[in-house]
Amino acid sequence: MAGASGERGRTGGKPSEDGSTLGMKIEQLSAFYGDFKALTDVSMDIQANKVTALIGPSGCGKSTYIRCLNRMHEVIPGAHAEGHVRLGDEDIYDKSMDPVKIRRRIGMVFQKPNPFSKSIYENVAWGARINGYKGDMAELVERSLKQAALWEEVKDRLKASGLGLSGGQQQRLCIARTLAVEPEVILMDEPASALDPVSTQKIEDTMEQLKQSYTVVIVTHNMQQAARISDYTGFFYIENMGDPGRLWEFDETEKMFSNPDRKETEDYVTGRFG
Amino acid sequence: MPRETFQQELDALLSEVLDLGGEVEGTLENMVQAMEERDAALAEKELGVDVRYKARGAEIDEECMILQARQAPVARDLRLLYTAQAVTNHLVRSGTLTEHICHALVDTAECERDEDLEAALVEMARTARRLFHEGLDIFRSRDIDRARNLQAEDDKVDLLYSEAMNLIANPSDGNAGAPEWRMRAALMVHYLERIADHGVDIGGRTVFLVTGERIESAMQQYINRDLREE
Repeated sequence: MAGASGERGRTGGKPSEDGSTLGMKIEQLSAFYGDFKALTDVSMDIQANKVTALIGPSGCGKSTYIRCLNRMHEVIPGAHAEGHVRLGDEDIYDKSMDPVKIRRRIGMVFQKPNPFSKSIYENVAWGARINGYKGDMAELVERSLKQAALWEEVKDRLKASGLGLSGGQQQRLCIARTLAVEPEVILMDEPASALDPVSTQKIEDTMEQLKQSYTVVIVTHNMQQAARISDYTGFFYIENMGDPGRLWEFDETEKMFSNPDRKETEDYVTGRFG
Repeated sequence: MPRETFQQELDALLSEVLDLGGEVEGTLENMVQAMEERDAALAEKELGVDVRYKARGAEIDEECMILQARQAPVARDLRLLYTAQAVTNHLVRSGTLTEHICHALVDTAECERDEDLEAALVEMARTARRLFHEGLDIFRSRDIDRARNLQAEDDKVDLLYSEAMNLIANPSDGNAGAPEWRMRAALMVHYLERIADHGVDIGGRTVFLVTGERIESAMQQYINRDLREE
């Protein structure tokens, strides 16, 4: 499909230059809900230490796709995926792969903040603890909260309930929780859509820092957000009602928002859709 | 259609730019006629247009900035605003240069002239008018196939420029014209060459608007692509 794979910087699946962060390579991925094919033949290279944004109209498969990237999709009864999703050199859909371990390595932050009904400290420590973390937990909690740009706001009340935080703080707590299990990739499904503009800005600033150490994939309905924070953008589209969604165009964000190749992409980013 | 209001604002902006272009063309037309007919009175009618064109250019600039702030344009909308500002700048500069030439025509109305040099000036003026009109028409119609000829026409202007400068440096025996006129003629040659360049640049900006190719090489890339396809 013209433009759907992008032509620049094809290092998907390969680690960053210092070997510390992995990218992902998706090949011919299709997703099903029972017999219904929701997504078809998506191939994409997700570069290490970059933010990749996924945009497109409602119902075109973006959230389905991102859930396939850490095998959350199959948690839904009757749902399954076909194709290959490689984290580095490993195919996460290989029969030998443990989905639970995959979800630790490829973490997810959801649209609605969902902290545990525990203290701020425990929200961050709990996941690391059950994954067998044996190091200095207090140091891990502090590091994770700093990476999520929340430490300064909560350092004096770590025993307070996570539910007592504001929406934006709760979302950053969820990010810290994801970071504490030391993932390689962070998936975010509309992480700021439920937040006020100030919190949104803080989340976006956080993402800018996160990509220094992680690979980030974000679904967003906010095109200005995608233009601001992402390095690469993928546009998902359904050609006819009832068709499965597909990746229509994928390229560097600068190109997607200044001179996309496909008319449907340009109609969408300029708000002429519909 | 979604974003109807925004589209109407874009259409209105474009209309403003084209209106300004039409007025500058009118000034240019009068300047050429004044030069052809040695009609200082006609040239004098265009004195003062510069101030008006600059004011309108500033209004268009401000409208572009407001649209960018309010509407966060991307892709073709962003290229349109960017091009509208660039084209407006070319139009305003062309208007200023045309007024400078009209000033020179008025100030030297009674001066003796070198007829060879005067003929060269008239030919340059007609060519500059044609290129300006062509560039503006390409922007109006978005017909970028016509842009490829602009470069060749611009080369002709450069040749005329060289010939005129040669005539200035080497006046005809016995009829060099008044020194003041020769001095103003040298400036007019330079202004006409710039007006022609502005027309070519407007065409180049339109190629960028339509194709999204980088501005510096938009026209050359477009021409090269067509040549490869042939």
